[in-house]
Amino acid sequence: MLFRIVERKWWYFLFSGALLVPGIVFLMLGGLKPGIEFRGGTLLDLTFRTPPTSQEVYAVMNGLGHGDALVQRAEGGRMIVRMGQLTPEQEGAVERALEQRFAQDVDRSSQTVSPSFSAELVANAIRAVAAASILVVLLIAYAFRHLGWGAFRYGFAAMVAVVHDAVAVLGAFAILGHFLGVEVDSLFVTAVLTIIGFSVHDTIVVFDRIRENQKLYPGEALNPVINFAVMQTMVRSVITSLTTLLPLLAMYGFGGYSTRYFALALIVGLVSGSYSSIFNAAQVVSLWQEIEDKLRGRPRGAAPAAV
Amino acid sequence: MTGLGPWIVALIAVVAIWVDIPHHRFDLPFGCPGICLRLGDRYIQQEIKTHLGLDLQGGTQLILRLRTEALPPGSNTPIDTLNEQARKVIDRRINSLGVSEPVIQAIGGDKILLELPGVADLDQAAKVATQQAFLEFKVPDESKPGQFKSLEPPLTGANLKPTFVTFEGQAQSNPVVHFEFGAPDDQRWVDMSKQYVGKPVQILLDGRQISAPNIREVFSSGKGIIEGGFTTQSAKELSLLLNSGALPVPLEIAQSTRVEPTLGAEAVRQSVVAGIIGLLLVAAFMVAYYRLPGALAVLALLYYAVLTYAAFRLIPVTLTLAGIAGFILSVGMAVDANVLTFERLREELRSGKSLRTALDEGRKRAFPSIAYSNAATIVSSLILFYFGTGTVKGFALTLGIGVAVSFFTAVVVTQMLLHAMLSFPALRKRSLFGVEERPQGELRQPAARPAGV
Repeated sequence: MLFRIVERKWWYFLFSGALLVPGIVFLMLGGLKPGIEFRGGTLLDLTFRTPPTSQEVYAVMNGLGHGDALVQRAEGGRMIVRMGQLTPEQEGAVERALEQRFAQDVDRSSQTVSPSFSAELVANAIRAVAAASILVVLLIAYAFRHLGWGAFRYGFAAMVAVVHDAVAVLGAFAILGHFLGVEVDSLFVTAVLTIIGFSVHDTIVVFDRIRENQKLYPGEALNPVINFAVMQTMVRSVITSLTTLLPLLAMYGFGGYSTRYFALALIVGLVSGSYSSIFNAAQVVSLWQEIEDKLRGRPRGAAPAAV
Repeated sequence: MTGLGPWIVALIAVVAIWVDIPHHRFDLPFGCPGICLRLGDRYIQQEIKTHLGLDLQGGTQLILRLRTEALPPGSNTPIDTLNEQARKVIDRRINSLGVSEPVIQAIGGDKILLELPGVADLDQAAKVATQQAFLEFKVPDESKPGQFKSLEPPLTGANLKPTFVTFEGQAQSNPVVHFEFGAPDDQRWVDMSKQYVGKPVQILLDGRQISAPNIREVFSSGKGIIEGGFTTQSAKELSLLLNSGALPVPLEIAQSTRVEPTLGAEAVRQSVVAGIIGLLLVAAFMVAYYRLPGALAVLALLYYAVLTYAAFRLIPVTLTLAGIAGFILSVGMAVDANVLTFERLREELRSGKSLRTALDEGRKRAFPSIAYSNAATIVSSLILFYFGTGTVKGFALTLGIGVAVSFFTAVVVTQMLLHAMLSFPALRKRSLFGVEERPQGELRQPAARPAGV
């Protein structure tokens, strides 16, 4: 049993493109919706025994001079109120007013982030992603250090896979943000960083097998070697992703709303990561080789230069 | 895997289970809760318990920023020193409030993380943390009538002895705060009263005037009182603030988070449910797909869960929602090493090797990938831990610990179980490994390579 994985590469690239393009469009049009941590302001998460309407809650906020408040119903009879930064005194006043108005205990969680601190958190997030990207490049360079300049194609392909997975997650959340108002927070950034790690790792496992096989079968053309390597690693790659996916699905379904979208981001990234490591990364290496062959006028399918 | 190995593994399991038991009825070893050790002159005493983060047990969390830009120009105390002094002051204030297990940590140079479990009143927490309580006494400025000026150097509350509140006036209804200067300010206080007798002195707290009493006579000691139309509450608060000292720099709240304890408890319940379901799903999959080795991997996974939880309680790791997410995620990754081993094992079995040889070969050939893959995850959690704040750190820590522990359980425990199983002839069936029985006449033949390679 041997799939013609490399030969059908354009179909796989097309499939990736079809999945990624909508996300990219939404990323460019609206981008990600920053949460309270990255935007600054106050978020109140209120749980009522008998939930009032959002208009009633807004009336209370407006009465206290917080006309900018956005009141949203959420699952479990909760009410999410977002507004500009409140001082602790103002927050206390809001809470007292709510309990008085609705004559009941209101379970409250709240988060207030000052605009200057949120700017710092955004800068931190960007720094973390930048640092992770640099480390990814270094890791790839290290993994293929024996190949000299030949390592470029592998490094490039691994980067393509990483970008593929990151864009898949970012795009998915741009779409979710547009239609469902899903916001991104530092947990989301964590998810993206974790996915970057997974993705590189998955890809390197495939590339390792390609290298191993090239040593085992010297003189063999690149495409069959790649096919064989991808086949060999596919089972492990799929099963490992599956066993990681199962707890994430449990977290998504039962873990409560605070970690729901974190789990979702990881799920999207994990699925995308498995796909890209099987159907994209090695194919990019093959494409590189074919273009190089064409440029140098070598017959297609001949053995590559010494690796 | 012979000799001592199994005993050590079993011993670790027993210790881990002991650590995991919620309440120890028997306080081992010296009748103290948890662990007590004396190493030379260092004394380690640690209670074994699960530390829950604020998002899980409820309370108030503040991130405070040192407003160094508000310091008078020319003050050149290093920011780390200011941070440390500020933390000490806040610590004293929190202690006199009686909050149990507060967390006061520096984050970077210019920020302080303050966690107050069980404190629901954000306003009160904010006051305690940010009131600078900078007391200053000013004297009339001769060149500008009606105005006050600082002494040279300023006379502040820096050397005050502990203050207390009494009730003065008719019906003892007027609360006042008594103070006393320590050396050398007590002498300056007396000198000031000589110089300005009959004139008012201004008492300011954080730059605002509280009162401006007239000096009626020359003082004989460093004692004095502050009256300022206090209520009992505000007088006590002022006394408390003065006693814990002034913050060396004004603080502002960069971030405040408040979680209702009931919501935290709900989050714990949901996370535990999600974790158990995740574990069951992984277990079901492993048994269905890998059969006997899968079942052993599940045993190793339970071992892993028990050991990791024990590690969280011992280190101790403060569990947050994100931390639990990291733990749950690591359950899936914990079986990765088993998957690698079992896939190799199947390959070896299919190529016609005996069970024992296949086990050994499988272990040897899978080990580099396992080591590499675990190292990669541990490195990425180190990066997350280093760059992250709060939530991210919690996630990175539990993920990293989880993966490190899983390396041990997958490599040592699963292998040990697999080998132990070989001693039971009934279990030595290839079908139990998901591989067809060895066909006759095809012994020891190398696996057929796919065509074209």
